[in-house]
Amino acid sequence: MAQNGKATTEKKTFSRTTSISTGIQADPAIIWKLLTTATDYPRWNSTVISVEGNIALGEKIKLKSTLAPKRIFKLQVKEFINEQRLMWGDGPGNRIYTLDKKNNGTVTFSMVEKIGGFMFPMYAKYIPSFDQSFEQFAADLKQEAETIQNATR
Amino acid sequence: MTIELFNEEFKGVSGKLKSYLLRITASAHDAEDIVHDTYVRASEKLHTFRGESSLKTWLFTIASNLAKDNLRAQKRWVENVTDICRQEAMGNPEFFREAMHISATSTQGAFEIKEHITFCFTCISKSLPLEQQLCVFLKEVYEFKVNEIATIIDTSEAMVKYYLHTGRAKMTNVFDNRCALINKEGICHQCSELNGVFNPKQKFQEEVVKIEMAREAAHGDKEQLFDLRMKIIKEIDPFESGAAALQLHHLDHNRNVMEKYV
Repeated sequence: MAQNGKATTEKKTFSRTTSISTGIQADPAIIWKLLTTATDYPRWNSTVISVEGNIALGEKIKLKSTLAPKRIFKLQVKEFINEQRLMWGDGPGNRIYTLDKKNNGTVTFSMVEKIGGFMFPMYAKYIPSFDQSFEQFAADLKQEAETIQNATR
Repeated sequence: MTIELFNEEFKGVSGKLKSYLLRITASAHDAEDIVHDTYVRASEKLHTFRGESSLKTWLFTIASNLAKDNLRAQKRWVENVTDICRQEAMGNPEFFREAMHISATSTQGAFEIKEHITFCFTCISKSLPLEQQLCVFLKEVYEFKVNEIATIIDTSEAMVKYYLHTGRAKMTNVFDNRCALINKEGICHQCSELNGVFNPKQKFQEEVVKIEMAREAAHGDKEQLFDLRMKIIKEIDPFESGAAALQLHHLDHNRNVMEKYV
């Protein structure tokens, strides 16, 4: 996956996968804290209206996104490996966040969402593209994490 | 370090330690107890102090650990704490009787707007997660460096930066929405109300323009106004100022209200 902050979407008959990856010059602990503090999302992430609940393994959260502001997505946290990997999802879809710290201090942040299933072809056309939202999410995360990292105060 | 030198240095730090503890516990009684316990624990462990950090950092570490033990058992307050406590005070004639008595009889019973600003910050900061509250005070008021704060609260420098950034952001936002001193649309006018009660002959606007933060409100950005608020807090010792007795009485009231509310 190219680390250029550009989203790509792969469409198949029964699924659709959107991915993005970007390099962030910040401590993974900062990025992880931003990704796992539910109430703080709307402050730094312009694609999220609200997240309710506790982002921890097995917990259920309610997410409202600017992509579908009238919907509340009820999601379960399915994987939670500290500072490495986070997955949440519902029946048809899962979103996976990964952090990979490189030797040069950069952290590669990746986000992948796959939605699909046997019924997918019937509702696929109603699901908007995630590309722009993914790019904004990654850009917001990069900016916030690097701002915190570089704070000289 | 000899015990004599330690005692001397402790004396120099204890005032700041006590005000820090008051600001994070909102209890004069707890602050005094923890200062005492810090002295006892530090003097017992003096042989383990190797000077890897300053004595001040070491003492703040011990005090913060003692305070955290106490605070972790308590629920955090809410950001509209002052609204809730105002309502309670309005329905409690005893509160005003006591306050007027302190105002009339105590040498530290004056009502001062700047002192009320620090009191207000103490109350609202207790709505932050504990780590954020500690980091904001340690950095913005007690001027510790990020690496020293990491030692004091036993976390990484990255996390201190995170807590500081998010704590500042939340407090900046809360005051920007609430405080009528910096925002004409602000919903909280308590300092003008209380100034009217305790200083009825004083013209509030004339007093307010003496405060740099209020003067800068029209053209200062939110971050700058937050820094000016911190400057006010840094300059006030909540135990020694001319308004200390009155504000400690208000703080005691708010703590009692919050203990029942949260």
